Amino acid sequence: MHGTPEQLIACHECDLLMTRVANKPNEDVICPRCHARIFYTSINSIERLLALSVAGLILFIPANIFPILSLQVFGQSQSEIILQSALSLFDGGLVLVALLILLFAIVVPLFQQVILFYISFTLHYRREGRLLRQAMHAYQHLRGWGMLEIFMLGVLISIIKLKDIADLHIGLGLYSLAALIVVTTLSSVFFNPHQIWHQIDLRRQKRATDDR
Amino acid sequence: MTDKPRFKSARESGYLLCIDCEKLHPLSLEGELCDRCGARLHSRVPNSMNLSWASLIAAVILFLPANMLPIMTFKSFGQGEPSTILGGILHLLDQDMLLIGLVVLFASIVVPVLKIIAMTILLCTVQFRLQTNLRQKTLMFRIIEWIGRWSMLDIFVIGILVALVQLGNIAHIEGNDGATAFAVVVLLTMFSAIIFDTRLIWDNGVTDLPSDNSDEKDTP
Ligand SMILES: [Zn+2]
Ligand SMILES: [Zn+2]
Repeated sequence: MHGTPEQLIACHECDLLMTRVANKPNEDVICPRCHARIFYTSINSIERLLALSVAGLILFIPANIFPILSLQVFGQSQSEIILQSALSLFDGGLVLVALLILLFAIVVPLFQQVILFYISFTLHYRREGRLLRQAMHAYQHLRGWGMLEIFMLGVLISIIKLKDIADLHIGLGLYSLAALIVVTTLSSVFFNPHQIWHQIDLRRQKRATDDR
Repeated sequence: MTDKPRFKSARESGYLLCIDCEKLHPLSLEGELCDRCGARLHSRVPNSMNLSWASLIAAVILFLPANMLPIMTFKSFGQGEPSTILGGILHLLDQDMLLIGLVVLFASIVVPVLKIIAMTILLCTVQFRLQTNLRQKTLMFRIIEWIGRWSMLDIFVIGILVALVQLGNIAHIEGNDGATAFAVVVLLTMFSAIIFDTRLIWDNGVTDLPSDNSDEKDTP
């Protein structure tokens, strides 16, 4: 197989070398050897990402300041926001577990939305974006570490576990969390690293010719 | 392009793929920085096998305390005792909460066990240069990588319950050390999968098996 690197692509999962085929929009290129999805194009994903990241950042606020659940037993009541599920374990001495909940259920999801906003805003409005590469690396490495949907399932399981013991009420925080999960799931679907790296490449080339 | 029905990897052909931005470089740039994304270029993830084995073995060792130690204690009017992961599941099944019991059983026990078995198979495949069912093994890797994070479920449940049930003497839940051990097991299995380089599976050589002929038509 011969050609310049520009005409060739390699599979990221099995390292198979192939000639680059021009793929039509919305048509995937599948690795013939290991069946990994190598290449896919989506139309206008930057604009969608921008919209989704703004929605995500907004939804993040009610999801974290309003109670997700409240419970009543014998006239006593208790309600909790997401952060408290980490803090209570911290108080109980399970520092590592508390830290993981804090990371996976709050910090990482927030960070992902901020990064996504930065990337899509910079590309869409053609801003300078000095941190674009770092942002891309961070977003790609954080994939899978935001676990809002697992946290949500945890809330549902807790409800079922407690329903015979106490009166439970679902709070505004939980509805916001559900909406936030929809938004973050959609944005991870529309996030197309190939397209974005390609755009970053084009910007850099353009800047290089402008400088000359 | 001279077409011979043999799969050839980028490395065999003198190329190297940046794993961060998927730009193709000449193999001679090994160890340099990618000019597009700035990541360090490596044809294969350095030390992948050692780190993957090490974290897998550590996970196996910790799996026992994670399941033997209590993860939380529910107390109501002074009554109640610590429960383990399995104890919690059995309690749910006992109370006719079959579906939810099965969900927790799946996330907390079935998934970690399957993940440990699958990673062992994959690491042995590379270590002993096995050449069978490579495509199925790759598919297995994708599945466990996706499903592994759901093992964090019980950790979140503990956090949610402990935060909510703090009613002094009436009802009170606290977390125990088993939760820490279990969280570390989940982290270690996730790390073992992340650091594992799937390309190593395909490096064993003969992957142009005659039975794969159906796919050759795709090549232009
Ligand atoms: Zn492949
Ligand atoms: Zn790169």
